[in-house]
Amino acid sequence: MTLSDLWVLLKQDLTQSYRVSGAKGKRTKQKSVFRRLLLPIAAVVIGVVIVWVIVAVVPLVGWDTLGTILSDNIGAGSSLFNVLLLFSFIGSIMVSATTVGNSSKMEYLMTMPISLRTLFLEKTIIVILYSSVFFLVIGTPIFIGLSITSTAPLAFLSVPLFVAMMLVISTLGVSIGGLMGLLFSRILAGRRRLKQVGWFLGSTLAVFGSIIYYYFFFASNGLGDLFPILIQIASALGLTSGISPGAATSTLSLGFLVGAPVTISEVVLALIYGVVAISLVNLNAYVSETAHYSGWLTSGSKRTSKTKTPVLHETWNPRPIPGFTFNTATSVSIWYNLTNIRREGRVLAQYLVGPLRFVAIIFLGLFAGGDIVAGYTSFIVIAVIVPFVISYAVSFAGYELVYEGRNLMNLQLAPLSMYDYVMGKIYSSAPFALVASTIVSIIVAIIAPSLWIYIPVVIVSAVCINQAAGGIAANAAAIGGDFRAERLVTRQRGAQVQMPIRGWSMLRAQLLPNLIGFTGLSIIMGLGVFFGPLFAYVVLVPFGLICLSLSRHYARSAGRKLTQKEASDYL
Amino acid sequence: MLRHKWIPDERRLILMIEAIGLKKVFSEFVAVDNLSFQVNQGEIYGLLGPNGSGKSTTMRMLLGLLRPTEGTAKVMGHDIITEIVEAKRLMGYVPEEPVLPERLTGWEYANYVSDIWKIPRGSEREKELDELLTLLDIKDASDDLIETYSKGMSRKISLVAALIHQPKVLILDELQAGIDPRGAATIKEILNGLRSKGASILMSTHILEIAEQLCDRIGIIKDGKMVAEGSMDELRLQAKGEKSLEEIFLDLTGGPDMQKIAEYLGDVV
Ligand SMILES: Nc1ncnc2c1ncn2[C@@H]1O[C@H](COP(=O)(O)OP(=O)(O)OP(=O)(O)O)[C@@H](O)[C@H]1O
Ligand SMILES: [Mg+2]
Repeated sequence: MTLSDLWVLLKQDLTQSYRVSGAKGKRTKQKSVFRRLLLPIAAVVIGVVIVWVIVAVVPLVGWDTLGTILSDNIGAGSSLFNVLLLFSFIGSIMVSATTVGNSSKMEYLMTMPISLRTLFLEKTIIVILYSSVFFLVIGTPIFIGLSITSTAPLAFLSVPLFVAMMLVISTLGVSIGGLMGLLFSRILAGRRRLKQVGWFLGSTLAVFGSIIYYYFFFASNGLGDLFPILIQIASALGLTSGISPGAATSTLSLGFLVGAPVTISEVVLALIYGVVAISLVNLNAYVSETAHYSGWLTSGSKRTSKTKTPVLHETWNPRPIPGFTFNTATSVSIWYNLTNIRREGRVLAQYLVGPLRFVAIIFLGLFAGGDIVAGYTSFIVIAVIVPFVISYAVSFAGYELVYEGRNLMNLQLAPLSMYDYVMGKIYSSAPFALVASTIVSIIVAIIAPSLWIYIPVVIVSAVCINQAAGGIAANAAAIGGDFRAERLVTRQRGAQVQMPIRGWSMLRAQLLPNLIGFTGLSIIMGLGVFFGPLFAYVVLVPFGLICLSLSRHYARSAGRKLTQKEASDYL
Repeated sequence: MLRHKWIPDERRLILMIEAIGLKKVFSEFVAVDNLSFQVNQGEIYGLLGPNGSGKSTTMRMLLGLLRPTEGTAKVMGHDIITEIVEAKRLMGYVPEEPVLPERLTGWEYANYVSDIWKIPRGSEREKELDELLTLLDIKDASDDLIETYSKGMSRKISLVAALIHQPKVLILDELQAGIDPRGAATIKEILNGLRSKGASILMSTHILEIAEQLCDRIGIIKDGKMVAEGSMDELRLQAKGEKSLEEIFLDLTGGPDMQKIAEYLGDVV
C-alpha cells in the first residue's frame, strides 16, 4: 500500500461526486454551473456568515464574559464531542459491510494494481469525510470567528486543532462502527433468512435508538438531561470524561481558544487517539479485505448442490391480501411490492417502524408542552395515526413506484393498465395501515375507555386517509421521482444521496394528505364528541368516499404519467 | 413445444415493421438519423453496426420506450406514436442489458411477467413456462433469486419473459452475447422455428456469423444512418465481389487502421 495509490483513489472518488466542471458532450444533459457548485458555495456562504456573525456579536457580549463561559464549559464540550463520536459510530455500523457487499460495483477499481486493503481504506476515508463534513463546515468557522475575537495569544491554533481532532473523532467512530458491522456479517455469513431477520432487528433498534434521543430532546429539560445520561453510558463503557476522545478534543481546542494552560499529558492523550484512530482505520481496511476474500457478504445463495432434485412449483396463484380478490394487474402489483419489500429486512424495518420517529417528534413535542394538552392525550394519540399511515403510503406507493426503476420498461411494454398497477401499490400499504391504526385504537381505548365507540371510526378513516395518501404519493412519484435512483439499502455510502422523490414532489406527497387527514379526522372526532358518536359515523361515510375517490383520481394521473415516461428517464 | 398458433402461413410479405424516417436526438447528439427499413412477415432482419451506431436506440423507439424526435414507424400497421399500445401488444423484447428484479426467483419473475401480460393463470401457462425454462437449461435455477444468476442466465430468463406472450414481432438486442454454445444453438432453432411459423424478428448482433446464418436480410447502420441493406446476396452484389459479411461490414463502416496498429506494435516491441 502506498500513499500515492490512496491519493489517486481519493481524487477520482471526490471528483466523481463533486464534479465542478460539467461534461460537455452533446449527449449529456447540461446542468447549470450554479447547480453544480451549489454545495460548495453553500458551505462557503455558511462559513462566512458564521464568522461574520461571531465577529460582530462577540464584542457586544465582551470576550471576557464569553471566555469565562467557555472555560467553565470545557467539560460540557467534552460531552458534546463524545456525542459526535457516538453519532459517527452509530451512523457507520453497516458502512464497511455495505462497501464490501457492494464490491462488485467497484470491479473496475479492484482490477487495478492496488491492494484491496488500500481500496477499502479509501472508501472508509470517504465515509469519514462525509460523516464529519457537516460538523467541520459548521464548527471550523465558529472556531475561526472565536479565535479572531479571542484575546488569548495562541487562539488561532484552536482552528487546526479542532479540524484535526474532529477528523480523529470521526475516524474512531467510523472505524469502530465498521468493524462491528463486519463482525455481524461474519456471524450472519451465508444465512440469508437469518441475515434478513438480523437486518430487520438492527434497523428497528436504530429507529428506537433515535426515538429515545428525541425523547430526551423534547420531554425533559432539553439537551440538559441528555448529556448526563450519555456521560453515564460513556463512563460505563470506560470512557470517563477526563480521558475520552471528546475530552482530548475539548481541552485542546477550547483550551487554546481561551488561553487555558495545556498540559503535556493532554497533548499526549490527543496523540494517542490519533494513533489509535489510524490503526483502527487500517484494521478496518484489513478486516474488510479479509471479508471480501472469504465471501462473508456474498448473498447467501443455496445454489451449491449440483444434485438433480427436480424443481416443482406450486400452482401460481398468489393472494397478496387475504380475503380480497383483485384483477390480475392489481394483484400481481401488490404481490410484487410486498415480496420485494419483505425480502429486504432493512427496507421492511425502515418502512414499518421508521415513521415512529416522526410520530415521536410530534408526540413528545406536544407532551413537553405540559399540562395544557394533558387532557387531550387520547386525541393526540389518535392524531398520531395520520402521519403514520401517510408515511406507509409514501413508502409503499411513492418510493416503491420509483424503485420500479428499470422494471418500468416491462410495465410499459405489457398491455397492462398502469392505473391498475399503481392501484396495487396503493392497496399494498392498506393492511399495514389497518394494523397500525388498530394498535393505536387499542391504546386509546386503554387510556380513555370512554372512546371505545370510536375505534371503528378511527380505523376506517385511517385506512381511507392511507389510500388517499397513496394515490397522491404515487402521483408525486410519477412527477418528481428519480427513476434511476437506487434503493438506499444497496447504495454505496458516501455516494451522492439520491432522494427517490425530488424536493417539491416530496412536499406534494406529504402536504395534501396531512391536510386532508388532520382536517378530516378532527371534524369526525369533533362532531362525535360534541354531538354524539352517531354524527361521527355519519360524517365518516362522505369522508371515506372522498378519500377513496382522491386515491383513484391521483392513481389515474400517475398511471398516465408513467405510461408516457421515456426510457432514457429510467434506463 | 411452443404453441404459436396465430398467423395463417400463406399470408407472406405482410409488413410487420415499417420504420419511416426515424430520428432520435439526445440533448444535441443525433443518435439515429432518418432511418427507414422494413421487416416482412416470417423474416429475420439483422441490424448491424459499430458500437454507438444507434441499434438499441432504434429498437427502443420501435417499442415505444423512446419517442422519436422525428419520423415514425408502424408495427403491423399500428403507428408507434398514435397506436403504441396496440403495437406493443404484438412485440416481445429482450434488452441488451436485461432488466430484472433481483429479489424475485426466476420462477416468480416468469409468473410476474405472465401476469402483467395477462396470460391466464393456470396449469397451461405453467406447463409452457416449464418447457421454456427447461429448454434453456435454467429450470433448476428457477427457485433461486435472480441476484444469484450469471449473465447468460439473466439473458435466458429475460428471453423466457419475452416469449411468454407469443409475440408476433420479436426484438432481440444482442441476445446471443454471453450465451453458451448449447444455449446459442437452442436459441437459433427457436428463432428459426418462430420464423417458419410466421413471426418476424428484428435482431442486432456483433457476431457476424450469426447474422449470416440466421438473417434473411441485413441492415448495416453507421452513425444512425443506413449504409447498406439487403439479403446476403444483395449485399454481395452491392459490394461487387465474393466478399464475406465481415469484409462488407468493414468496408462500409471502416476497418482497423493497420498502419496505426503497426505503429503501436512497433512501439511496444
Ligand atoms: N439516454 C441517452 N442519452 C444520451 N445519449 C444516448 C442515450 N442513449 C443512447 N445514447 C447515444 O446514442 C448513440 C446510440 O446508442 P445505442 O445504444 O443505440 O448504440 P448501439 O448501436 O446499440 O451500440 P452498441 O453496439 O454498443 O450496443 C450512442 O452514441 C449513445 O451514446
Ligand atoms: Mg446497443
